[in-house]
Amino acid sequence: MIKTEDLFVRFSDGSGIRYRDMRFDTGRSYALLGASGVGKSTFLNLIAGVLTPAEGRVTVDGEAVSALPQRARDLYRIRRVGYIFQDFKLLEDMTVQDNINILRLEGVDTSQMDALLDRLGLLRLKKRRVNRLSGGEKQRVAIARALIKKPAIILADEPTGNLNYETGVEVVRTLLANAGDGTLIAVTHDDRLAPMFDERADMNAVAEWVPGGEARQHA
Amino acid sequence: MLSFAFKSMATRRAKLVMTALSMVLAAGVALLAYNISTQVSEGIVNTAAKYDIIIGPSGSATQLAMNTMFFTDKPLGTIPYAVIDDLNRSGQVNAAIPFSMGDSYNAAPIVGTDPALLSDKALLKGEMFSQPLEAVVGFDVAKTYNLNPGDQIISSHGLSHDGAAHADHPLNVVGVLKRTDTAYDNAVFTPVSTIWELHDHHDEDHDEDHDEEHDEDHDEDHDEHEEHHHAEAGEICAVLVRSKSLADYAALMNWYTDNTDYLAINPNTVLREVMDNVDLSRKIVYILCAVILVMNLFVVSVIALLNMYDSRREIALMRLIGVSMGKINRLYLIQNALTGLCAVALSLLCAHLCLWGIRGFVSRMGIVLNAARVYPLEWAILLCVFALSILPTAVLTRRMARKDSLET
Ligand SMILES: Nc1ncnc2c1ncn2[C@@H]1O[C@H](COP(=O)(O)OP(=O)(O)O)[C@@H](O)[C@H]1O
Ligand SMILES: [Mg+2]
Repeated sequence: MIKTEDLFVRFSDGSGIRYRDMRFDTGRSYALLGASGVGKSTFLNLIAGVLTPAEGRVTVDGEAVSALPQRARDLYRIRRVGYIFQDFKLLEDMTVQDNINILRLEGVDTSQMDALLDRLGLLRLKKRRVNRLSGGEKQRVAIARALIKKPAIILADEPTGNLNYETGVEVVRTLLANAGDGTLIAVTHDDRLAPMFDERADMNAVAEWVPGGEARQHA
Repeated sequence: MLSFAFKSMATRRAKLVMTALSMVLAAGVALLAYNISTQVSEGIVNTAAKYDIIIGPSGSATQLAMNTMFFTDKPLGTIPYAVIDDLNRSGQVNAAIPFSMGDSYNAAPIVGTDPALLSDKALLKGEMFSQPLEAVVGFDVAKTYNLNPGDQIISSHGLSHDGAAHADHPLNVVGVLKRTDTAYDNAVFTPVSTIWELHDHHDEDHDEDHDEEHDEDHDEDHDEHEEHHHAEAGEICAVLVRSKSLADYAALMNWYTDNTDYLAINPNTVLREVMDNVDLSRKIVYILCAVILVMNLFVVSVIALLNMYDSRREIALMRLIGVSMGKINRLYLIQNALTGLCAVALSLLCAHLCLWGIRGFVSRMGIVLNAARVYPLEWAILLCVFALSILPTAVLTRRMARKDSLET
């Protein structure tokens, strides 16, 4: 179970986003909806522990991961989170398989790579360099890399953003199948895909933009 | 780990090669500057003169000392060989060795002398000269022109090798000296009588040629004659003396100074004066060398830092992907150590190849460089370069590890 409490994140320019408390149960899938720029990606970053909240905490199975020191938080993410970034975060100069094999450095078993790539329609691109792929192909490579380690928590930031509807449906099915009894939290814009998830949350009602402080108003 | 390091390096090969090459260039120049300046000053210091008096025609004391000790510059002129007979008869000397110079074999000066000049030099091959037209060649000369006992060499007139050749009187190489790392490596030694013989014949040639059409050759020969002092039969350029005692030394010095118009010098004193005179310029060279060193280490640091900032994005990316900072740190350590090691090895190689390349050029000036000589400070420079190639990124990963992974 993932819980967020009193979450507030502050950016370097002094502005920030405050979030209403949320709860994500193990074994369920969630679709996060909401306007662009409302703070969906930032929310996933907080859960993944790649961003530290200024206030409040993120707890996973009772452990306040947001309060962990960086090393332990990296380890939490490495062991338990599969994060599909909105901008993919791929090693552009490397091949598809090397982008996945890099996780072997952390002891991830990549023997299921071919099956996974096949399911995502990427098998024939396995040896191709990422910077030669289309946006939709890159997106699926990012998905394959997140799923290969069979994470307990899957965070997917607009995983179908670059895909057509049919491929999008297949990708969401793959995500749901891989989530198993873990937790899947996916940001999506597509109202047709949202019903495939167990629950939907409107982030417009969750996230509140907080403008910069005194300094800003004086300027 | 290793295979991934290689893959990662392969994707950045162009950048890595540029980085390594600029490091090689900067470090190589630093090594070269330091090595040359050290070897040159050491070379002069090491040449302790074994002779306490040198007698030559009147002129510059420095020129006489440099000419007889380092075979540089031109001889001052000639004095009669009889001076040696006088010295030997005086009973005040342990050795009085003739010294004559004026011809050359390619870039190597031919020194007319007697085997005593080489008494403290060991032969690598063959034997000492004993007859006119026999020659013992220095180590570098033998190596450069692939000379062995039994070979013949054609000397040319004058100290630059474009002088007329004594083609009809080749010298027979009978021995090769062991390497001495002094000017002796780049010289040819022959009995002083060889010089007389060559020039007797040369003058004969002159007379014979008079009526023929080789007018141009003639003129050149004449010029050479005017420019250089060639020992006629019975003439030499200088005498190297080892006196029997301090009293004999003083007596001889006084006698030659007071009663002849020859120049009698103590080479040690003269060289020390020369050293004192060049001390200022030597200091300038040292400062220059230090500036080059610091400048190039600065360049290496800048390159290393650029390399580090370049890695920053990739390190942040790998961390977000899900690789621990410990692993990333090790990955970059391997990559940078490999590049650093290549850069270090290449700069050492390049600097000493350059040294080897300019060796032949500077040996004409009496400076003998040993390309294989590596000084401790050179290792220190290389260590710096190696440290600079691995440390910045190592520090960076440590600092990044303390921040949010998104924040970089
Ligand atoms: N590092 C940052 N510095 C300043 N503002 C930021 C930063 N990251 C995000 N924001 C702002 O926070 C808001 C939410 O961003 P994001 O979470 O990416 O929105 P989205 O819901 O579209 O994923 C946006 O207005 C964005 O400009
Ligand atoms: Mg977003």
